[in-house]
Amino acid sequence: MIFNSFSYFFLFLLPAALLFRWAKPDLKPWVLVFFGAAFFVFFSVTQLAGWIAAGCLVFFLWESVLSRIYQPGSSWCWLGVGVAVLLLGIFKYWNFVTGLMMGGPATNTLHWPGQFLPLGISFFTFEFIHYAVDRYKGRAERGRFGEYLAFILFFPTMVAGPIKRYQDFEPNLRAPSTNWALDWRMGFTRIFAGLAKKFAIADLLTALTDHLNARDIPHAERWILPVWLLAYGLKIYMDFSAYSDIAIGSARLFGLKVPENFDWPYLQTNITKFWQHWHISLSKWLTDYVYIPLGGSRVAPPRIYLNLMLTMLVSGLWHGAGLNFIAWGLWHGALLAIHRAWNQRAGAKTAAPGRVRVVASWALTMACVNLGWAFFVMDLPTATLFLRRLFLG
Amino acid sequence: MNIFLQRLRELAEYLGGCSVGAPAWMKRALPGWAWGVWWALLLAIVALFCGQSSKFIYIDF
Repeated sequence: MIFNSFSYFFLFLLPAALLFRWAKPDLKPWVLVFFGAAFFVFFSVTQLAGWIAAGCLVFFLWESVLSRIYQPGSSWCWLGVGVAVLLLGIFKYWNFVTGLMMGGPATNTLHWPGQFLPLGISFFTFEFIHYAVDRYKGRAERGRFGEYLAFILFFPTMVAGPIKRYQDFEPNLRAPSTNWALDWRMGFTRIFAGLAKKFAIADLLTALTDHLNARDIPHAERWILPVWLLAYGLKIYMDFSAYSDIAIGSARLFGLKVPENFDWPYLQTNITKFWQHWHISLSKWLTDYVYIPLGGSRVAPPRIYLNLMLTMLVSGLWHGAGLNFIAWGLWHGALLAIHRAWNQRAGAKTAAPGRVRVVASWALTMACVNLGWAFFVMDLPTATLFLRRLFLG
Repeated sequence: MNIFLQRLRELAEYLGGCSVGAPAWMKRALPGWAWGVWWALLLAIVALFCGQSSKFIYIDF
């Protein structure tokens, strides 16, 4: 309830975009820093765990100070990566991991009863890691203090991405677009289209997707089960692409461009293409900071398949602390490995596939992706029950 | 890709604010008043459906 609230538009987006446009170049980053910090505090207090959650603003201050000492090849960069991973681990996985070892809250003496997620932690920690690794490898410039702070506190992308790269953001921040008319026309069009998608399509599908629970599944007619799952597949696409539309449109009001996140993923004809078009900024992050460091595609085929599985396992865990998210990640890892093996076996074919084959490939991809949503939306026992009913009756 | 689907996609990207210029097959770009009508339509849809608003799935999932 952030991007679809009046407070987002009238307290933050419009005043910040106007001030940013009018501010002198040296002050522009500080406009973003001020509004980003205010945004984090306001929504942490009003929608999360109150002032304790707002206190997590200190993570940005810590990161902004630590990042000043990053140098190419410096071990300080790894300290930054370690701290980011530790923060994410504690806030997102503490109860999940201790629960796996010690059972439910009643028996788990290490259970954290008031666990909360700081606003956007899954996303801002990935940006912290990106900067630390890229500074280590010499791929990102140090930049100015205010500019890096503006990068990590840029509020349109703070909560749920798209995940930015500093080397793209910094030059854009130094020379933002000055074509107000075009930027505001495109920005508002994108925002209004995103809001319409969210309210008129994604939220409308909630009526169907609410049935994906352990209570309704055993009594539902079998034919309705795939309809519920397809509805969820459409809903999550409309929901998250609407969110990305609003974030990208909001950035455009400042004259800034942030990465695209979706490029018609449900029109793709294989699982590899699907992941190149779904949550693109995350897929690229996982490729650059997990898959390639593991060896990527430059190793023997069995190791490539393992790398794909491990990368998607990280993706699954990042999406949520639960066994169902691990299953979802492994499902997609297995699909990517199978597709890779299939391609290697088939070899490079130059002839364009026929229409029937294209349609069949698309249908198979859609079926695999939508079956995977069962693990994403339901806990593991409920997803198992759902799939058993779907396939076995 | 099917030409109809391709044109639909280009139109959606133009009307959704993703692409700057009008698709090549359109004779000219939309005039200012047409954008006004389009915005009004989108805002009417938002107003019509906003009562059922729910949290975005990807926030703090």
